[in-house]
This record gives sequence, C-alpha cells and structure tokens, in this order.
Amino acid sequence: MTDLHPRFAGRAAFAPRADYRLLPCRFLALDAARVVVTNEVGEHVVMTRPQLRAFAGHGLAVHDPLYRVLKAKHFLFDDESRAALDLLALKVRTRAAPIARLTGLHIFVVTLRCDHSCHYCQVSRQTADKTQFDMTPAHADRALDIVFASPSPAIKIEFQGGESLLNFALIRHIVLEAERRNAVAGRDLQFVIASNLTHVDDEVLAFARAHRIFFSTSLDGPEDLHNANRPLRGGNSHQAALAGIARIRAALGPDHVSALMTTTPASLPRVAEIIDEYVRHGFRSIFLRSLSPYGFAVRTRLVGGYDIADWLAFYREGLAHILALNQRGVAIREELTALLLHKMFAPSGTAYVDLQSPAGIAIGALVYNYDGKIYASDEGRMLAEMADPSFCLGSLDDQSFASLMTHDGLHGMLEDSLAESAPMCADCAFLPWCGADPTFHRATQRDVVGHKAFSAFCAKQMAVLRHLVTLLEDDPAAARVLRSWL
Amino acid sequence: MGDGDRELTFEDGAVRVVFDLRVYRQTAIQKAAYRFADRFTAVLGARDGHALAAALQFKPTTSAATAREAVRQFYQELLDQELREQIADETTAVRTLILAHAFSNVDLIKRDA
Repeated sequence: MTDLHPRFAGRAAFAPRADYRLLPCRFLALDAARVVVTNEVGEHVVMTRPQLRAFAGHGLAVHDPLYRVLKAKHFLFDDESRAALDLLALKVRTRAAPIARLTGLHIFVVTLRCDHSCHYCQVSRQTADKTQFDMTPAHADRALDIVFASPSPAIKIEFQGGESLLNFALIRHIVLEAERRNAVAGRDLQFVIASNLTHVDDEVLAFARAHRIFFSTSLDGPEDLHNANRPLRGGNSHQAALAGIARIRAALGPDHVSALMTTTPASLPRVAEIIDEYVRHGFRSIFLRSLSPYGFAVRTRLVGGYDIADWLAFYREGLAHILALNQRGVAIREELTALLLHKMFAPSGTAYVDLQSPAGIAIGALVYNYDGKIYASDEGRMLAEMADPSFCLGSLDDQSFASLMTHDGLHGMLEDSLAESAPMCADCAFLPWCGADPTFHRATQRDVVGHKAFSAFCAKQMAVLRHLVTLLEDDPAAARVLRSWL
Repeated sequence: MGDGDRELTFEDGAVRVVFDLRVYRQTAIQKAAYRFADRFTAVLGARDGHALAAALQFKPTTSAATAREAVRQFYQELLDQELREQIADETTAVRTLILAHAFSNVDLIKRDA
C-alpha cells in the first residue's frame, strides 16, 4: 500500500540492478595487494585484487560502496545510468580537443652560438663569433608564414639557441613582424626567450617590457653545482643567471622569468639543496628533469653517469622535501608531478608535447632551426645533430604548413606514436596519463615505438605514477598538497 | 602451469613450461611474454591440442633462484593478462561506440567553398 501520488514511483523503482555492464578500463598492479584501474578518460580507482575480480566478474553487490564509486566514475553502467555513454564520449572528446587545434608551440633557433659550454648541452654549441650559425631574417619570415597558417588559437613563439640573446636583432625582428601579422590574425600570442641571461641588458628589458615577453632560464642549484654543470668562459654562470633573474623581475614583474634544472650525476646527492636554492631565490616551481639521451650529454658520457633508478631516488627524495616545505607553508611545486596530476584529475588535455598520444611531434610543436631546417620536435633537431635526421620535415625554403601537416614521414611516426595501439601501452592502466616519446625511443632503440620492457622512459613513467597514486592513497597530508597543485 | 615444480627446473639457462590453452589464451601468453622480455626470451613452440610448450630462455649470468622468481612473477602477470583479455572481450564494442560517438560531429574533410 502506498500513499504516493501517481506521479511518483516507489523506492523500489529506483533500486540499482545487479546486471551491470563493464565500461572500457585497464588495470595495473600498484603493489602486492592493490591494483589501480583507469577508464578511457583517465579517472581512476584503487582496489584490492579480490575487488577487481568481483568487479570484472560481475560479482559486485549493488549496495557495495565500491559499486557506487565505479558507477559514478564510469567504470560500469546499469539500467539506471542512461547517460553514461554520452558522458564518457563527451569526456573523450574534451580530452582530445587540443589535438584538433594543431601546432601551438613554435620554436625559433635564432642562433647556435653560445658563450657557455655546458656538459649536458643537447645541441652542438659553436663559439660566439661565428655568424654562419645564425638564422636569416628571410628564414624567420618564412617560419612566421607557417606559424600563422596553423589554426591554433593560442600561439607561443619560443626563442632558443645556442644562446638566443646573441642574436637579439633577429628576435626583435620576429616579435615585431609576428605582432604585425597578429593584428589581423587575432591569436593569443605569447613570446618566451630561453636564455642563460648573461646578455640581458637595458635594451633587451625595455623591448621585453613593451612586448610582454617572458624569459626561461637554467638554474641547476647552488653556485658550485651550477657552475660545474654550466661553465662560462671567463665568468660565473650562476651569478650571471641570478643577476639576470633579478633584473627581469624588477623590470617586468616576478612571474616573467622561470627556471629549469637538469639532473647530472653531481646533482643526485643534493636534491634538497637544489630545491632550497629555488626557494631562496623566490621561485614557486621546479622541474626535476632527468638528462636526455641527446647531444653533448651522450658524447661526454653524462647520460651513462646514472641510471633511471638513481634519478627516481632523486625525484622521490626531492618530492618528499617539496611536500614537507609546503606543509610548513612554503609554496613550491614540482612541475612533472603537477603535469601528471593534471592528466589524472583535470577533464581537459594538456599542451605538454612530450606526453601526448599521438605524440606532439609537429602537431604540438614545430622547430625552425638556424639553418632553415624544420623539425617535428626540439629533441628531433638534437637527434639530427647526432646524424639522425628522422625528425627533419624539410626546409623553410620549400615547405608550407599544409605540406608539413601532410608529410608522409610525419604521418607514419604519428601513427606509430599512438600509445593505444603500442604493445604494452595498449594494456597499461597509466596510458591515459602517459604518452609516446618517439624521439627518445628513436635515440635509444633506433625505433620510434620502442620496446617498453627495455625503455627508461616507460620505467620512469611507471615508477613516478605508482609513487603519486600511492601518496594520494596512503598519505593524506601529501595528498592535500598534491591536490592543491591542480 | 599444471604440475608445479617440475616445470620450474632451471636447466641450460632455461625454464621449460607447458601452458594449458584452456586456462590461458595464446594472446595472453604472448602479451605476458612480451612484457617480460627484459628478463627472459620466451621461445614458444607449436600448439599441441590444448598444450603450448615454451622455453623461457634467460641470460647466461642468471641464477636459478632469480630465474624461478621471474617465472613465478610471469605466471602472476599471465593471470592479469588473461583478465585483461576478458575485460577487453566485454568492452571492445562499447569502446568503439564511445569513440564513434565522441568524434561523430568532427568534420575531418575541409570542404572548400
């Protein structure tokens, strides 16, 4: 008997049904007892192995709290979840949206000249007086034709070297010409100068202020470590970098300069000192980067100076130090971690070209080299310096944006870079948070896909992601800090 | 694995095993073997009814204890891989449907006016 108005159904009509169906998902051991399960759009649930077997075997009770979690996060659907497929499709589309916008990052290597002789430099350096290693204005204009032919609503032009400020005249030309073209194109246009800051002067600062230009520099840690990694002929690289940082902040504002570090064997026992150096100099983020297997890092055997297990210990110790600093009220975040957290929790994709599927080669970033060659990635031009031109897409003399995007070789590499169809990756629970790195695998295994059982890239990703999921699950204080970085 | 320790004999740098294909499908065996390629090379034999023989060939310096532990982990991975195949069987069609739905409004061909 019921007193309900006929317009309303009784509770029984809304009870969940036991005959649920699975939605696409992947799982991976988190530790001996637990697995991490992800769905098509990177939402995740950690459960025990018995729970996994019950879930996959349709043995999960509808009143089990895990059932509700899995239903809410789109790991299963039943008669009551009519919108599940529509919502999942919408999320897939949202995450994939950046791919359709095409190339947003355009790197201009305005010169290969440099006054530093860094042991890990990824491109061949040349002495500062050889102007044949400068990009010509004609090539720069051709590159701008390509930049503005890209449909991307947001365009970032990054100046690299060598030491980019050794060819400041060309930077000035490119910025002014890009702004002139953008008056019609109407893109969200941004400029970044990657520089060791030894050549920052009043003229550079005045121009940067007038055109809202950002700076990116290198800071490898305390003075002795930085200077050992980054020798500057007749000077002190660390002092020059700090002086440049101070001048930029004073002239442009505190957020107009960021810094990157590279981990060398000498860095390994000093991660807390390195992070403290960043905090001391007012940075709110640090990217604990491992060495890349390109350029001088290979020739000087630095790459063989430590293995990925050493770097992972460095990363874990560094992240623990950063989390402890945050818990004491010092706001600083680790950029690789923040990037992965975005992939784990944010509905949108990221623009970070090194962790995309398909890879961000050319469709995420294009590189215009000093000599007019065009590369599908920055690492691709570094590989070319090692006599492997796999990622060279041609020359500014005869290529257009359309010809680049329809380049046969590029399409082959993009197809190969789809992690969804790569052995091991296709079954990996971390796939939605990871990506392909065809340049790394080409450099280390002579194959753009690479065998992931032998891949240091895969080992690094797996270990970092397992560590993050474990922290999120088991360490509430760490989880609070990590979630605050989103 | 069937009858226990007999298959885990480490001889001439290899552990010889026989998979029951009624328990593990061949795709699961191949995927698990691929995943363990850094530890051993799985040399798969010809199918004989429901049986598939394989030699798990280790590097010359591998100890018997290390090899046995790798094989133990391999069988755990095999169970995971079999479960992944089961989930894929059930969800492949709906994954295709979701992807088709997600991109159904994308105009992949630029039509010039």
